[in-house]
Parts: sequence; structure tokens; C-alpha cells
Amino acid sequence: MILLDIKNLTLEIESNGVLVKALDKASLTLEEGEIRSLVGESGSGKSLIVKAISGALPPRWIVTADRMTWRGQNLLTMNRAERRKIMRRDIAVVFQDPMAALDPSSTLKEQLTESIPEEFVEGRWFWQKRRSRLDIARSLLHKVGIKDTQYCMDHYAHELPLDICQKFMIAMALVSQPTVLIADDPTRGMETNTKRQILSLFKNLNKTRNLSILFVSHDLVAISSMADKITVLYCGQTVEDGPFQSVRKKPFHPYTKALMDSAPSFSPDLQPKSALIALGGTIPTLQHLPIGCRLGPRCPRAQKKCVETPVSRKINQHTYRCHFPMHLDDKGII
Amino acid sequence: MSLLSIEQLCYQPKRPWYKLGADDTFHLGPVSFSLEKGETISIIGENSCGKSLLAKLIVGAETPTSGRILLNGQPLENNHKKQRASNVRMVFRHSAHALNPSLSIGQMLEEPLLLNTALSAQGRSEKIFKTLKLVGLMADHFYFYKHMLSDGQQQRVALARALILDPQVIVADEPFAALDPSVRSQTVNLLLKLQKELGLAFIFISHNLGIVRHMSDRTIVMHDGQIAEMNLTQTLFLDPQHNASKQLIHAHNALLSLQ
Repeated sequence: MILLDIKNLTLEIESNGVLVKALDKASLTLEEGEIRSLVGESGSGKSLIVKAISGALPPRWIVTADRMTWRGQNLLTMNRAERRKIMRRDIAVVFQDPMAALDPSSTLKEQLTESIPEEFVEGRWFWQKRRSRLDIARSLLHKVGIKDTQYCMDHYAHELPLDICQKFMIAMALVSQPTVLIADDPTRGMETNTKRQILSLFKNLNKTRNLSILFVSHDLVAISSMADKITVLYCGQTVEDGPFQSVRKKPFHPYTKALMDSAPSFSPDLQPKSALIALGGTIPTLQHLPIGCRLGPRCPRAQKKCVETPVSRKINQHTYRCHFPMHLDDKGII
Repeated sequence: MSLLSIEQLCYQPKRPWYKLGADDTFHLGPVSFSLEKGETISIIGENSCGKSLLAKLIVGAETPTSGRILLNGQPLENNHKKQRASNVRMVFRHSAHALNPSLSIGQMLEEPLLLNTALSAQGRSEKIFKTLKLVGLMADHFYFYKHMLSDGQQQRVALARALILDPQVIVADEPFAALDPSVRSQTVNLLLKLQKELGLAFIFISHNLGIVRHMSDRTIVMHDGQIAEMNLTQTLFLDPQHNASKQLIHAHNALLSLQ
């Protein structure tokens, strides 16, 4: 069953009196029990999609979409109370910067115990409830791999190292036992060992509780270890979408290829100290977006036709938006 | 003779007299290793194991408690700041935070020249233009401010600032952490190119083991303020000996093999 279905999501931001499309027809679906990763560079609109789903965008920004549904209910026309209810119990979000997302004025214990839903708390009297809340909090913190739980709970966010805060955010997201976890760059700045712990926790939850995960990141090694499906985003446009293995082996879009080449661990035959294959130039800013395919000016295969926005085409679950795809001949056969 | 050699370097912050109870301050060292010309050494390890502190000690941002750092056989002392500043340079962790927002790129690059060299105004601007070109920026960027540049360009400016005094050693603390994949590949290529052309020696700290394996000749694994293991990168990645390095490398391999 499709849980989250987004089609042609467009987000317009006014900047200096001109409407800029920060997201241009981005599409995404998330099925039950699947791990989908959303890959893109900073400024490509990954976090905007996450915020659009969670409804955390400023009201001035114009969100339009052909379809944006949660289990068939339209998220865009829903009233705030209903939407909040979904966000509270079904979708959990781990935001990008834990320091900014955690409340600086209360200890982590207060924040975590406050977010435990009433149904999970056992006991009749307040002291029993308090104990039960603390037990739940402690076991959650253990689960995400925080060893010194008491120390963590008694401190404020700014007193703890960043990776502990990051794990704490994940614990906060898991507290309501959601159906979907949206993790916005959860492994940023983590060392390999901790990263593996967190990723295997996600994987376990996915297997045991059938948790669907939208994993937003640009860490390809982390993605490759867990993702079933991948959606590649460039400058607000979804350029490619499909099962991870087929995208990795035969990317159709030149940007996906460049992305896969950027991780040296993916190409075992690469000579140490040899030059990596890299696209020239940098990501354009929102004020200077190229027309048509936004990769155009950086693309090695770009031709005249690329000033028109390509429509999305589909070959066996593998969607791409490119006029001149790779690994395909003229008739569109792999 | 090796280019840079570090002998029995220790760092133990002094305990204030009013602190009672168990000693829980962080101790580094003793650490010894040496670096040859044109070599890249990378330092890996878990969080808070003293990697960044070691980098700071090498460039002289912190004073070691004991031990010596020799550059070409000459001890680097803190009372010879000029010699040290022009030969060992640092690239900080977040280049975005390490650049001064109120100075233009030109002013920022001119400062080390003013303080460390006897060049004329003409000579300084020539040097700046040459360095900007070297890292792949344009002469126009002289007049730019930090906020006008993208992440990758800021990283290049940070690198230009490190290169401008023609150093022999560059110490970089997670130079790739804040960069996006495609820009990261560009920076890796740039560093490799500069190393080939100028014969620079690099010491760099990273969490990204894929890049470490690609770029470095030797790798040091740190654990609890000590060097747990030091070996040629390829050997270390194939056959780690110490527990700390085993954990790191097995975690990395496990992530890769799960595909």
C-alpha cells in the first residue's frame, strides 16, 4: 500500500518580487515497509520536501501539487488539527540540525518525557506514570546507543556533543512508534562506527516493525547499505527514481552517474591517488537557475534541446527526466 | 631526513588547584610519527580521541606540554612564529565559519603576506592572483566577500589562504565534511593536483574512510589520545591489527558489503 504519494510538487518562493521555483515538479512515493532514500546536494530542496510533508513551511510560500496524499487523504486541503494528528502519531521527522531543533531552555529529559504519547504510559497515579515515562525514555535512549542515559537526560542540548544530540533526536522521533520515519541527514558528522549502529537500528525497525523510512542524505555509502529505492534530486527537480541497484548499475541521468562516481568506495578498481571523475562548476543559486533541465550548464551530454524541461519517462519502475539518457539507445532499449 | 617529525608529543591540560576528585581531563600522547615530502598521512579515529587536538598542536594553535616537533631537523618553537606559520599551515574544519565575513577575499589573503613576508604591495597582489588561479578561482574573486561564494569556492579560498605562504606541510581538519559529493570530488582532485605539482605534504583528518583510502599514503588510527596503529593505508585497510582500527574498518566494510 502506498503511504505517501507526492506528484509534481512545486514550491514557489518570492525573492525580490520574482517567483522562484525552489521545487519544480518533484515526485516521490513511499510504500509500506520500504526504505527510500532521497539524495541530493545541499540546496537541492531535499529539506524543503521534508518540510512540505511535515507542514513546517512558512505560509507565504506557495505549495502546489497534483497529488500529495497520506493513505489517500489529501494533505494540502486537510485542516490543521487533522494534519497535526497524522504528524503526531504516524509520521516522525528527524530534523537536520539537532542543535537548532532541540529546545535550548529545557533538559533533554523534559523534552523526551513530554513527547511520550499518553497511551504508552502505564500506572494510575502520577508517580507511577512518571516512573513509567522515565523507563520508556531510558529504554529508548539505550536503543539508539546512548550509553550514559542519566547524564544525557539531565543536561541541556548545548552541553552535549553533537552526535549524542543527533541520536537523541532519533530517539524522540521513534517515541510515538510511527509508521513512517523521515530522517533528514541523520548520519551527518558521525563516525563510521556510530553510523553503522544507527543504520542497523533503522534496518531492524524496518524489518521488525515494518517501519517505512524516507532517508534523506548525501552519504552514498550509508544509502547503499540500506536503501531499497532511491530518488535523486537536483536543484529542485527529481532527475531519477528507481530501485537502488538498477540506478546504481545503470544510471540514466548524467547527474546520477556523477553522484555515484563521487564515492571512491563504489569503484574498487580505482587506483589510489588518481583523479576522480567530477562535474565542473557548482550548484546554481536560487536566483540564477537555468531554464529547462537545471543540470544543463554542467552536463557533459547537454545539447540544444536541453533548454526545454524534459518530461519524466519510465522503463520498468525506473523513472528519469533527461533528453539524452545514458545506457539507452535511440529506441529507448537498455 | 624526514620533512616533519614529531617526537613524544604530549598534551596534558593543567588542573586548576580548586578541582577535586578524580582526574577526568583529556590527555594526549605521547605521539610520535614522521612525515616525508610529498606524502599524505591521514588521521582517523572515533569522536573525541584527540585528532583535532593533535592537528592544533602541530600547527601551533595549542602548546604541547612536552615533546618536540622538528621541521627539516629544526625544532619548531613557539617563539619562531613566522617560520612556523609560513611552513605549516592549517585548513579548518568548517571553512564557512573560519573565513572572516567582513573582509574581502583579497584582504583575507593579503594578511598572512603582510605579517610574514617583506613583499611590496605590487608583489603581494601578484602573489594573491597567482594563488587564486592555482586553486581554480578567478582574479575577480579578489573583491568578493565570503557570502558571495558557494561552499566549494569557500573551501578553495580556505585552501588558498593555506597555500599563499608556500608552505611545506598542510594540516587539514575534515576538509571535506561540509562539501557536497560533486564539489567534494573537485576538491579531492585539486588537492591531488597541488600535491603533484608543489610536492606538498598533507596531514588530514577525516571520517570519510572511502576518501582516506583513496588519498592517503599512510594512515594513523587514534584511540583515547594515543596512536593505536600506524601503517600504509592499503595494508591497514586490508589487515587492521589494533582493536580500534578493526572496529572502524570493519564498520566501513560492513556498510559497503550490505549493498
